[in-house]
Amino acid sequence: MKRCTTAIFGFLLIGLSHLVMAQSYPARPIRIVVPFPAGGIADLFSRHIGQKFNDAWGQPVVVDNRPGAGGNIGAEIVAKSPADGYTLVMGSIGTHSVNVSLFSKLPYDPLRDFAPVALVMEAEGLLVLHPSVPAKSVKELIALARARPGQVAYASAGHGTASHLAGELFKSMAKVDMVHVPYKGNVPAITDLIGGQTSLLFATMPTVLPQVQAGRLKALAVTSSARSPAAPELPTIAEAALPGYSVTNWIGLFAPAGTPRDIVVKLNGETVRIMKTPEIQKRLVAEGAKFTPTTPDEFAAYVKSEIAKWAKVVKEAGIHVD
Amino acid sequence: MDLLSNLALGFGVAFSLQNLAYCFAGVALGTLIGVLPGVGPLVTIAMLFPITFHLPAVPAIIMLAGIFYGAQYGGSTTSILVNLPGETASAVTCIDGYQMARRGRAGPALATAALASFFAGCVGTLLIALAGPTLGEWALKFGAAEYTSLMLMALVASAVMTQGDAVKGLAMVVLGLLVGVVGVDVNSGMARYSFGIPELVDGIGFTVVAVGLFAVAEIVANLESREPREVYTGPVTGLMPTARDIRDAAWPTVRGTAVGACFGVLPGTGPALSSFATYMLEKKLARDPSRFGRGAIEGVAAPEAANNAAAQTAFIPMLTLGIPASATMAVMLAALTLQGIATGPQVMLEKPDLFWGLIASMWIGNCLLVVLNLPLVGIWVKLLTVPYRWLFPSIILFCCIGNYSVSNNPFDVYLCAVIGVLGYVLVKLECEPAPLLLGYVLGPLLEENLRRALLIARGDPTVFFTRPLSLVFMIATVLILVVMIAPAARGMRRGT
Repeated sequence: MKRCTTAIFGFLLIGLSHLVMAQSYPARPIRIVVPFPAGGIADLFSRHIGQKFNDAWGQPVVVDNRPGAGGNIGAEIVAKSPADGYTLVMGSIGTHSVNVSLFSKLPYDPLRDFAPVALVMEAEGLLVLHPSVPAKSVKELIALARARPGQVAYASAGHGTASHLAGELFKSMAKVDMVHVPYKGNVPAITDLIGGQTSLLFATMPTVLPQVQAGRLKALAVTSSARSPAAPELPTIAEAALPGYSVTNWIGLFAPAGTPRDIVVKLNGETVRIMKTPEIQKRLVAEGAKFTPTTPDEFAAYVKSEIAKWAKVVKEAGIHVD
Repeated sequence: MDLLSNLALGFGVAFSLQNLAYCFAGVALGTLIGVLPGVGPLVTIAMLFPITFHLPAVPAIIMLAGIFYGAQYGGSTTSILVNLPGETASAVTCIDGYQMARRGRAGPALATAALASFFAGCVGTLLIALAGPTLGEWALKFGAAEYTSLMLMALVASAVMTQGDAVKGLAMVVLGLLVGVVGVDVNSGMARYSFGIPELVDGIGFTVVAVGLFAVAEIVANLESREPREVYTGPVTGLMPTARDIRDAAWPTVRGTAVGACFGVLPGTGPALSSFATYMLEKKLARDPSRFGRGAIEGVAAPEAANNAAAQTAFIPMLTLGIPASATMAVMLAALTLQGIATGPQVMLEKPDLFWGLIASMWIGNCLLVVLNLPLVGIWVKLLTVPYRWLFPSIILFCCIGNYSVSNNPFDVYLCAVIGVLGYVLVKLECEPAPLLLGYVLGPLLEENLRRALLIARGDPTVFFTRPLSLVFMIATVLILVVMIAPAARGMRRGT
């Protein structure tokens, strides 16, 4: 009986302390680790969210860029940080879905070592061609690639990047053979595509849309599962030719595994609120990106499905990094 | 006429009190971060990015651009004073600038760097105004095959870099190539020489290599001498360049500007290459090449002119095509995008106040930089009177801060120490660090483009000779080889 009371009391105390923790959280500065270099989209949105956390809670937020090894260095730091809600990571499709299949030894587990907080944004992708390529639709492109197996060159932002995987997924679903020409990042890949050195590229919307509007590149379709408000006239690849095709380059906020549930919920609520403000919505449209509100559980389920999806693509295409 | 009315519009925009203030803030900040190694324009601009939300588009871009080209001015200061390259592009300035300082001529070296930069900046800006769109189109003709031939030409010409022992020079280039290939291979995605260390997966950073080889190695070598040697032998003679200095530096500045302007337009070449290329050119053209590496003023004027011209013309692809030439440019482009400006080929026509305002502000910014930097020369030179026992720990401290700040990782600091030891060994073996750095810069670029060219051509090596631009570089490469080998061959014949 006594033991039972102690247990109940203990549970109450833990519950209470969590409640107190969540109420007093944050009591000191929060660090958001960005596992990518300064200036990228993950960095810019982290700084923005950090600023808004500060406005809401009165605690400064430090954005800490820890780039390297495809984001693994930064993600590992947070995986091994205390689970108190004061160290977070702006993870991505790379750090929290693809890399676990891509790298033979990942120093962390994207599911076991993290408590997903919220999906922050999904950047839409665009399938663009050099104007000289004689294909006016996705179906025509597939026919062209079939007629010239191994001849059509598709550029990507580098091995294992979303733009590479989008191409590999396309190849495997359309059952075509194209040459992969990797670059060091989006920009050199776009430059060479405009110069006509390669034929096509799967790129994020804001980097290529101005070129499409200027007639230097030809857009065929968007890579996401729904049409984009930035270019509503373009079909999705799924509706144009390959049902089920969907690639979005997402980023999301994660805390270390074991972070008190109340803190995760509090962070999730504030992130969702910030992302819904008109100010951020305007910026999302400018970046060709969108925000889907998620609860921590929904986000965790999403990460899980992404890991499974990319494991299959990476395996089929035989891609490795390390 | 159009140009004049456009420029009038531009200066009208740039001379508003607000825009002048932001221009000044930008270039002053740029100078400051240029002085610090590692802390480059990219990090600074990214950190200031949220501030630009609250600014109108024109002052925002004027300030960010000022930081970018201002950093090129500041980068030479520590190169000259303490052999510590403050920016990627000013590593070459270490070679002769530091030697000038050791001969008591830090003042003229600093002033020459500032004046050459000013000249190059103005010419570069003029080029954007006059021929921006044409040059932008020209840059698009450069595919992997063209870059490969260009790099090959540069690598062959680099034989000129080596002084004295040709075998040692070659060995240094090859060592540089090896250091350069560390990290993930772009084509296969395989990590090379990374020994399972995640920090090595992205390769060894330029700052780490340059600071280790130049600054750290120099300090270690200095400490070794028994008597407390001052870094700066000889009295400081005069702060400003003499008439003879100006005469000597004039043509190298012009040539450096031309070379830098060309490289700046090509996004695939990277910031360090233009200064290397022009340094090699000057050494080849000089009547007495042996002066290079011993404090030749041409060796300061030409690379400084080149990196500033390149910093200016690097805006051409961004402004005329909407393609950012570097990560720094990409952040500036993002700043414009968030202001609701569709950055692309049309920006020149749709936003003439932005385009011409920016160009006019670059002129003003370059003037401000000279006004800011010339009086600073006196102050910097005074810094040299600081005793070495105080100076050297502070240099090491700056090296550590700089290396740490590149990716906020202490690993880079340790790595820099290791490379410093390597640099010291090289000093002992009397091997020049410059060819190593060149191999490090050129090697990965050459490999990446060679393999990409072959990949696109599906393994057909004739691609380097069937594309006209590439063929031109190949012919030039052969000519350079002939020019270099001919005297040696003649000498051999005479010898037998």
